[in-house]
Amino acid sequence: MDLITLQGWLDNCSFAVLFVTMLIYWVGVAFPRFQGLPALGTAGMAIANLCMAALLVARWVEAGYFPLSNLYESLFFLAWGITATHLIAENMTRSRLVGAITAPVAMGITAFAALSLPAQMQVSEPLVPALKSNWLMMHVSVMLLSYSTLLVGALLAIAFLVVTRGQAVELRGSSVGTGGFRDSRYRLQRTDKTDKAEVGPSDPDALTQPVVALNANGGNATAVLNKAESITVPASKTQQAAQLSPQRLTLADTLDNISYRIIGLGFPLLTIGIIAGAVWANEAWGSYWSWDPKETWALITWLVFAAYLHARITKGWQGRRPAILAASGFIVVWVCYLGVNILGKGLHSYGWFF
Amino acid sequence: MTSDTSFLSTLSLWWKAPQRYFRQELLPLLADLRLAILLLLAIAVFSISGTVIEQGQSLAFYQANYPEDPALFGFLTWKLLLIVGLDHVYRTWWFLALLILFGSSLTACTFTRQFPALRAARRWKFYTQPRQFQKLALSTELSYLTLDQLKLGLIEKRYRVFQEEGKLYARKGLAGRIGPILVHASMLIILLGAIMGSMMGFTAQEMTPSGETFRITNVFNAGPWSAGRIPQDWSVRVNRFWIDYTPEGSIDQFYSDLSVLDQAGEEVKRKTIWVNEPLRYKGVTLYQADWAIAAVKVRINKSPVLQFPMALLDTQGGGRFWGTWTPTKPDFSEGVSLIAQDLQGTLLVYDNNGNLVSTVRAGMATEVNGAILAVDQLIGSTGIQIKSDPGIPVVYLGFGLLMLGVMMSYVSHSQVWALEGDGRLYVGGRTNRAQVTFEQELIGLLEQLELTSQDKELNAIA
Repeated sequence: MDLITLQGWLDNCSFAVLFVTMLIYWVGVAFPRFQGLPALGTAGMAIANLCMAALLVARWVEAGYFPLSNLYESLFFLAWGITATHLIAENMTRSRLVGAITAPVAMGITAFAALSLPAQMQVSEPLVPALKSNWLMMHVSVMLLSYSTLLVGALLAIAFLVVTRGQAVELRGSSVGTGGFRDSRYRLQRTDKTDKAEVGPSDPDALTQPVVALNANGGNATAVLNKAESITVPASKTQQAAQLSPQRLTLADTLDNISYRIIGLGFPLLTIGIIAGAVWANEAWGSYWSWDPKETWALITWLVFAAYLHARITKGWQGRRPAILAASGFIVVWVCYLGVNILGKGLHSYGWFF
Repeated sequence: MTSDTSFLSTLSLWWKAPQRYFRQELLPLLADLRLAILLLLAIAVFSISGTVIEQGQSLAFYQANYPEDPALFGFLTWKLLLIVGLDHVYRTWWFLALLILFGSSLTACTFTRQFPALRAARRWKFYTQPRQFQKLALSTELSYLTLDQLKLGLIEKRYRVFQEEGKLYARKGLAGRIGPILVHASMLIILLGAIMGSMMGFTAQEMTPSGETFRITNVFNAGPWSAGRIPQDWSVRVNRFWIDYTPEGSIDQFYSDLSVLDQAGEEVKRKTIWVNEPLRYKGVTLYQADWAIAAVKVRINKSPVLQFPMALLDTQGGGRFWGTWTPTKPDFSEGVSLIAQDLQGTLLVYDNNGNLVSTVRAGMATEVNGAILAVDQLIGSTGIQIKSDPGIPVVYLGFGLLMLGVMMSYVSHSQVWALEGDGRLYVGGRTNRAQVTFEQELIGLLEQLELTSQDKELNAIA
C-alpha cells in the first residue's frame, strides 16, 4: 500500500476519532447516568493513540529516520504523547473528568496539524546537517514526551481548580508528606453509634467529601471506592461502638494528586530532555548552554514547574495556589513549544514557516 | 592571665555575633521556601526578558527600536535598557547575583530541611498505642487479620518490614527522600562546573583553506585563568574540506579532513570531522562550524595552473556569493569576473561590463574574450570552532547526578504501622507523594488478606 495515502488517511482519521471522543466525554460529564460512555471514550482515545502511532511509524519507514523533522510530525508526536498520558491518568483516577479536558486539547492539536498546516509543510523533509545525529531522537522525543506529560498534568490542575472553585482545600501529597494525616472532620469520636460504624461525611453532595459518598450518590465514579463497605465488615461482626476506618481520598484529592504525579513524571523527562540537548550542543558545537531562546524557554518551563513542586511543600501556600501555578504551566509549555519558533530566532527555528 | 582570658572571650564574642546572625537571621531566611519559589520565578521572569529583547545588538539597533519618545510601555527607552543591561541579560551582575543567591538558597535548604527530613525518615518508631493510629488518614482496625499475615503481604508488595512482639513497621521508597538532596547537590555541581568553564576555558575560531596549516591564534573568548591552556606546541593541517550535496542540491553535510601536527611537523592524529562529530586532542576540541570558498584554480589557454583567491561579496542580505577576477590576456588588459555560490563547481562568468557571458563547471573549459578558460577546481576553506572547557567533566557529573536525582524523586516514600492488641489489629499508613496509588495498594492488600483468611475459615469448617 502507498505510504503517503496511508498517512493522509491516518491523520484525518485520528482527528475524526478524537473529535467524536471529545463529544463522548462531554456528554458523559453532562449526563453521568449513561453508563457506557466512559468506556467508549477510553476506547476512542486508545484508537486515536494507535492511529497516530501508525502514522509516525509510516513516516519513519518512508523517511528512514525518526519522524521529528518538522512541525507536522512533532505536533502528531505531541498529540500521541497526550493521549498516552491521558490513558495513564485516567487509569489512575478512574474519573471521566480527565477525558473531558484532555480530549479537546488532543483534538485541537491534530486538527491544526491535519487541516490548517499547508500541504508543503506536511511532507517529510531531509534533515539539515546540524540535525543529523542520534541525539536528535534522544533529545527531541524526550522533550516532546515531557511537554505532553506536563500539559496533561497542567490540565488536571485546571480540572482540580474547576472542581474546587469557591472552596478552601488542603493539599495531600508532596515530598515532605504533608498529606496522610486525618482531617479534623474525620477524627474518631467514641460515641454510641451502633450499626453505622463508618466515620462518614455529613454532607454527601460536596465534591471534597470522600468518594464513598459520591458513589452512593451515583455520581462521578472515581477511585477504588465501592470497596469501602468491606472494610467495615468486621465492625458489624464485633458490634463495636465506634470503629477506626480509613478516611478515603475525595475526587478533588484524587485529581490533585494525579496532577502532581503526572507533573512529577513530566519534570524528570523535561530535565533529561534539556540535559540531552545540552550534551548534544556540547558535542556538536562546543557549548552546552548558549541562552538560545528555545533553551531559555525550556529552562523557564523547568523553573515554573520546580516552583510548583516547591509551592506544594510550603506552609500557607497549600490549597489552590500551587494548582494555579501548575495551570499557568500550561501556557508556558505552549510558548516554549511554539511561541519561540514564531519568533523564528535561534538554533531551534527549523521546520516552521520561516 | 586574667586579661588574656578576657581578651579571648571578647574575641569569641566578636566571632559569635556574626555566627549568631548567620544561624538565627540569615540561614532561616535563605532556607525559606517562599524565597526559593520567589527566586525560581524571578530567574524565569528575567530569562523571559532576554528572549523578548534582542541580545547583543549594536547601539544604533536599540536606538532605532526602543526610542525615547514614544517609549515602549511608557518607560522602556534604549537608555534605560542599556543602563539595566537588558541587552545582555544573562551576563549582567544582577542576573549572576540572582544565580548565586539561588545557589546559597539551595545549599541552606539542603542542610536545614532535607537532611533532617532524611534523618527522620530513617529513624522510624513502632506505634505502641492504638490512639496513634487515629491521626493517620488511612488507618483501620481489623479482627480477622494477624500480624504475620500482614507481614507476608507487605513483603510481597516489596516493603521492608521490621517486627517486634505485636508491633510492625514497614517502609519502601526511601530513595524518594534521597532524590531531592541529590537534585540540589547536582545543581550546585553544575553551577560550579559553569564557573570553572568561564574562568579557565577559551573559545577560538579559525578559517583555513584546504591544504593549509593553522595554529590557534584567533581567540575571542578567554577566561582570566585560561592563558596556559591555549596550545602552543601543536598545529592543525586541513588536508581537505568538502561538502556533500543531496540530489536536490541542498547541503547534506560538511567535512574537514584534519591532521594534528607536533612541533616537528609530524602527524600525531588524523580525523575527518563533520557537524556533530568533532576532533579532540589534549583537552581541546575542534568543531566543524562554518565554511567559505577560498580560491579557484584556473588555466588560461596554455598557462600553468593559476590560483586566484575568492572573496565574499557584499550582497546586502541577498545570499552568500564569492567572487574573483581573472585576466584573459597575459598583460592583464582584459579579464572576467568569476562568481560562485557553493562548492558544487558551477561558476558564473561575467565580463568587465557586468554581463553574464558564460557558465563553467570545475574540470571543464569555456571560451571567453577569445581565450580558453579552464577551471581546475574550487578550493573551500573550513571554519573551525576551537574550544577548551575544563569545567565539562564537572558539569557532566552534575548532569548525570541530576538525572538520577529527579528520577529518584518520583518515588514515593510509603510507611505502614501495625499493632496487635485486644484481639484486633490496628493498621495505618501514609506516603508522601503517591496518595492515590498508596490508598489503592493498602486497601487492596487488606481486602486480599481478608479474602484469603475467609477462605481458610471456610476450609477449616469443611
